[in-house]
Amino acid sequence: MIRKIIAIAKQDAREGLYYRFDLLLYICNFMIQIAVYVFIWLAIYNQGNQILGMSFEQVTTYYILVVSLDPIIGWGINEILGEAIRDGQVLRELLHPISFFSYYFGIRIGELVEAGIVGIITFLLCAILFGIVLPQSLFHFCAFLVVIVLSIIVIYFFEMILSMSAFYTNSVWGIEILKRAIISIFSGMIAPLTLFPEWVQKIANFLPFQECIYTPINIYFGELSNIEILQTIIKQGIWITVLYLLAKFIFHKAIKNITINGG
Amino acid sequence: MAIIEVKNLVKTYKISEKQNGMLGYIKHLFHPKYREQTAVNNVSFNIEEGELVGYIGENGAGKSTTIKMLTGLLTPTSGSVIVNGLVPNEKRIQNNKQIGAVFGQKTQLWWDLPVIESFRLIKKMYEIPEGEYRKNLKKFTEILQLEELLDKQVKNLSLGQKMRCEIAATFLHNPKIVYLDEPTIGLDILVKDNIRKFIKDINKEKKTTVILTTHDLKDIEEVCDRIILIDKGSIIYDGEKEKFKDIYGNKIIAEFVVKNKTKSVTLETQEEDFEVIEETENSLKIRFNHDKLTVINIVDSISKYCEILDMHVQEQGLEEILKEIYRGEIIRD
Repeated sequence: MIRKIIAIAKQDAREGLYYRFDLLLYICNFMIQIAVYVFIWLAIYNQGNQILGMSFEQVTTYYILVVSLDPIIGWGINEILGEAIRDGQVLRELLHPISFFSYYFGIRIGELVEAGIVGIITFLLCAILFGIVLPQSLFHFCAFLVVIVLSIIVIYFFEMILSMSAFYTNSVWGIEILKRAIISIFSGMIAPLTLFPEWVQKIANFLPFQECIYTPINIYFGELSNIEILQTIIKQGIWITVLYLLAKFIFHKAIKNITINGG
Repeated sequence: MAIIEVKNLVKTYKISEKQNGMLGYIKHLFHPKYREQTAVNNVSFNIEEGELVGYIGENGAGKSTTIKMLTGLLTPTSGSVIVNGLVPNEKRIQNNKQIGAVFGQKTQLWWDLPVIESFRLIKKMYEIPEGEYRKNLKKFTEILQLEELLDKQVKNLSLGQKMRCEIAATFLHNPKIVYLDEPTIGLDILVKDNIRKFIKDINKEKKTTVILTTHDLKDIEEVCDRIILIDKGSIIYDGEKEKFKDIYGNKIIAEFVVKNKTKSVTLETQEEDFEVIEETENSLKIRFNHDKLTVINIVDSISKYCEILDMHVQEQGLEEILKEIYRGEIIRD
């Protein structure tokens, strides 16, 4: 099964890497975004403000990580799957000798290859250009990576659930925007979550999205104790289980009732 | 035992009834009305291993719905489908391993990659043994003339080239059953011939069961041995292709080139047992039932009114027969 998923991932990555020029543009785009964030915060810090005990270098690092993680977390299968449902191509995909979830997980990993390339290059270039704070320790860096990998799985099932609503609504674009909005607010993508009102933080603590950006970056800085890191990983494990079961349930429900578009 | 058993299969859809205009849409939003429509109505048939079956009917007759239920993509409202011992909509993935399918414009080829890459992925997904894969690829490449296409990106292929590759992809894993939903739509005559020959060859060699839906009856004439004709959700004919023609199409069309016509043949022969379809100053087109009359009889009757220069006799093809069935001109027993 794993070999099949890898084969699909490779195929998808190969197709993505065919558009190398696109990747280059993405990297440029992300670097400009980072520059904008850095300049804004530079202006704020120049006023002599001290924000939440973060140094300017830390804030710079925060945004370099945010923007570099954005494709890794955000380039999911939502649009691909939604589009496939809308134009009926999903019909073909339901006929593969491999489960629907495995197939799309393969696609997700394929997308991750491109996103990883873009993210890592953006990160390295900006690190050189603007300077960054290094991770607290090798252990913290590894924990940072583990939490991100688990987040990718959480987001995968979250996206599967959202996309399957296209079976009923045929809406693709709206759902993509909804997903983006939810993730960018509750993950700390827009600003560190400590800048938000307390009730937003409470919701964010409950939802699994702060583990996409905010928590791993804090782990990177060494702000979380080992026990808190363990708690984070357990929380992610629970969310993965819940979303997985929910996604399967919706899929089995949908597959019985759908009339697939086209022909 | 039959490889496909379909018993009392029914599929009804809920169709939302929308009224026109903005107000209608808003009404629908809060108080949707549905009506039920039966797409497939109590259909039963058995298909044996190795059969080449043409599944035909007008647009909207229920063909695609039946095929989707056979592949497990739709759940029947009632009735049962068993494909090689499996219930497809319950054991979809297991069933997927033993079938192949081509659905109109849907594709299993990867748009931006060379064709061969898609084939390789299929090999991995279906776990086709290396030797078997090579053997099939070599053979398919030969029959479907894929040599120059394999290294091309799918997006650079013409429709016909793409379909040839698609067909090859579908048969690569030696499926026991293949569903082809309009595989020849929009293709030129050479490609069509190519694909038909391929289907026949593979069927002969591997005893692959093929169910073909098409609007091109040449496909049926050349490929299939058996016809299942569905109309408004019900089967109205199921049997051998040749018998179908016997039952419905015992008619012959004779075209005559004539001169010196003295009277209108249509009017003069109204009492006779044949039918004049077309009449001009220099030509006549007559249809008659071969059981009752012979060409000689026709020649005898019309030569009273004109001089026959030339004639051309033709058995009524499947296409004409179907046209008449669809128009309701032939009433079944």
